[in-house]
Amino acid sequence: MKKFLALSLILMLGLVIAACGEREQPDMQMMWFSDGIEGEVMEDMLERYREETGVWIELFEIGWDDYETRLGTMVDGDDAPDLIRTTEGVMNNFKEHFVSLDGVYDEAGFTNIFYNDDNEPIGLPMDVTANGLYVNLELLDAHEVEYPVHDGENWIFNGEERVWTWTEFVTEMEKLVGAEGVTYPGTYDPQGHRFMPMIYQQGIKIWDEPFVSTNLTSDEAVAALTLLQDFYHGDLVDDAPIANWNPGGAPSNFETGMYGFHMSGNWFASDYATLDFDWTVAPMPTGETGVRATLLGGKSMSAMQGENVDMALDFITWLAEPANHDEFNNGVPFLSGRIGAEIDFGELEGPYQVFQDEINATPAEYAADWLQMTQVVGIYPIINDMVQDVADPDGLTPLEALEKAEQAIMDSLEDN
Amino acid sequence: MIRKPGIIVYIIATVIAFVFLWPVLYTIFSSLKTMSELRAAVPTFLPQEWTFEHFFDIWDRGSWRRGNLARYIYNTFYVAVLSTLLAVLINTMSGYALAKFRFKGDTVILLIILATIMLPLEVIMVPISRVIRFFRIYNTHWALIIPPAATPAGIFLMRQFLLKIPDDLIECARIDGASEWRIFLTIIVPNAKPAIATIAIFSFMWRWNDYIWPLIAISDSNLYTLQLHISTFGGEYRTNWANMLATSTISMIPMLIVFLIFQRQFVQGTVETGMKG
Repeated sequence: MKKFLALSLILMLGLVIAACGEREQPDMQMMWFSDGIEGEVMEDMLERYREETGVWIELFEIGWDDYETRLGTMVDGDDAPDLIRTTEGVMNNFKEHFVSLDGVYDEAGFTNIFYNDDNEPIGLPMDVTANGLYVNLELLDAHEVEYPVHDGENWIFNGEERVWTWTEFVTEMEKLVGAEGVTYPGTYDPQGHRFMPMIYQQGIKIWDEPFVSTNLTSDEAVAALTLLQDFYHGDLVDDAPIANWNPGGAPSNFETGMYGFHMSGNWFASDYATLDFDWTVAPMPTGETGVRATLLGGKSMSAMQGENVDMALDFITWLAEPANHDEFNNGVPFLSGRIGAEIDFGELEGPYQVFQDEINATPAEYAADWLQMTQVVGIYPIINDMVQDVADPDGLTPLEALEKAEQAIMDSLEDN
Repeated sequence: MIRKPGIIVYIIATVIAFVFLWPVLYTIFSSLKTMSELRAAVPTFLPQEWTFEHFFDIWDRGSWRRGNLARYIYNTFYVAVLSTLLAVLINTMSGYALAKFRFKGDTVILLIILATIMLPLEVIMVPISRVIRFFRIYNTHWALIIPPAATPAGIFLMRQFLLKIPDDLIECARIDGASEWRIFLTIIVPNAKPAIATIAIFSFMWRWNDYIWPLIAISDSNLYTLQLHISTFGGEYRTNWANMLATSTISMIPMLIVFLIFQRQFVQGTVETGMKG
């Protein structure tokens, strides 16, 4: 026992002494989360920034699931990071703690800029995401399903210079119902976010008057949600991912090679690069009005209130320079929030060009409309509930689900 | 005479053991699957094609994030060992005081300690966070080591165990002229070995697996523990399951070693104190 106590004491002393060494402190801290290798790309850039300016910015990563929890406790303890990778949700939930970036970079050169209540930008758009439609070319070709193809200048469908409509899409995909080697014609990510472009594709904005009234109960919105409900209640889309609320279910479905399409977004493209069947990204269908629209999202770099605001803004100015900004998006690679960015997507060039085309085809007023929608506290659970309500065979009618969502949005605006 | 358990008992015990082992084995086997197998819509229990690529991947020192794995293992070990030694020391002393000394307010103190068992960490997280900031140990390993050093469950366990040591034994030692420290070190501690082993194992396990508190108390990535590191594999849209599973598998190894070394004392302590994991 004496030996044990002596050994314990020695071990404890040793560990205490080891802990006493003072560590050099960085000039600033950057809070970060990663979907892939973007943390490593930013770390390389921070090393270069330190060589160029002598300013040491230390990046620390937090898992996405606890990102806002962690930020909340840091803010409560007056220990907010100097710089932070943000989403629309993070910027919205902590907007009073971010520094205005008005005049820090040229806003005209970027898309998907998030503004605070004073209409000042609080994030430098870094990478953007776009919803899109993956299609299994082998399955579609084997069953003679027609889809739009790009001739180098325009999309061609049925011999005409246009993309397809939802009606034509349904007609084509129904060829896969019950076909050999097909589990379901398609699979949808269960999140309500993937449905929202269908409203814009009907040719309407969601806000009638921003933060006052919506168009969610309009005939166009009802038509869009009816379309989705028909997918789930019919044989067109596998309802397992939404019935079991399994966001990973839809990509897993598509990866089996037995689904004709997957409605999702550009973030799965790099995962799909290793699939052993031919696939691509097709333009999303339009409503009868022919309006194309995707849903933009993305990550920004923001500065937080604190002692190092000037240093943080210097870094953001540096990051906004085209060469530096493109270095980040080329390093991953990602769709860029900088207009005119030159990004080499390598083997994913084809699919990414379609995503970029979707972004370019989306009317700016719709992109702005969605950014305002993301400022509604709790918007994602609201729209998730909405699509779950209509996917459920014993759930709500599209109009009832939209009315419920509209009421929840109004309640949220009133409460916050 | 004690009857040997029949075959039915063994079968039931094996089934129950397998139910509990299933997620552990699934994690280990999945870490040895290829990426395409990990993505399969209908996953298999055993890998079709065995690979160690994910283990090489997480040790790849060419990468900034992965290259710190050795540091994260060291950090976790450092926090777990130091915290465990402190926990054993404080809980044993406190348990001894509450079991064998009668003083004014001893029952009230015991009740207050027991009442804190009812409070989950989430409730007291903010006050503790303010305390560690006040003592300027926020964002240091001491913030992970000191707050959980005295656990109400540990103090209660030790008190219950020490109640069984006859008071006469301590009285005899006092009559023979032994100091209180000598009684503690030569009579109490040797007799409390099973309870000390139980506290040590649980404390080491709790600190090794701790996630929420390090998430709150640490923001310097150089001080991250393994569990914090594992969580960084989860992104907004994608989770790097391959690296997460491989790192999780590695994180199990020290716990297995600790359990194998102390399993006899652990089982004895658990039986004698009624403490469960």
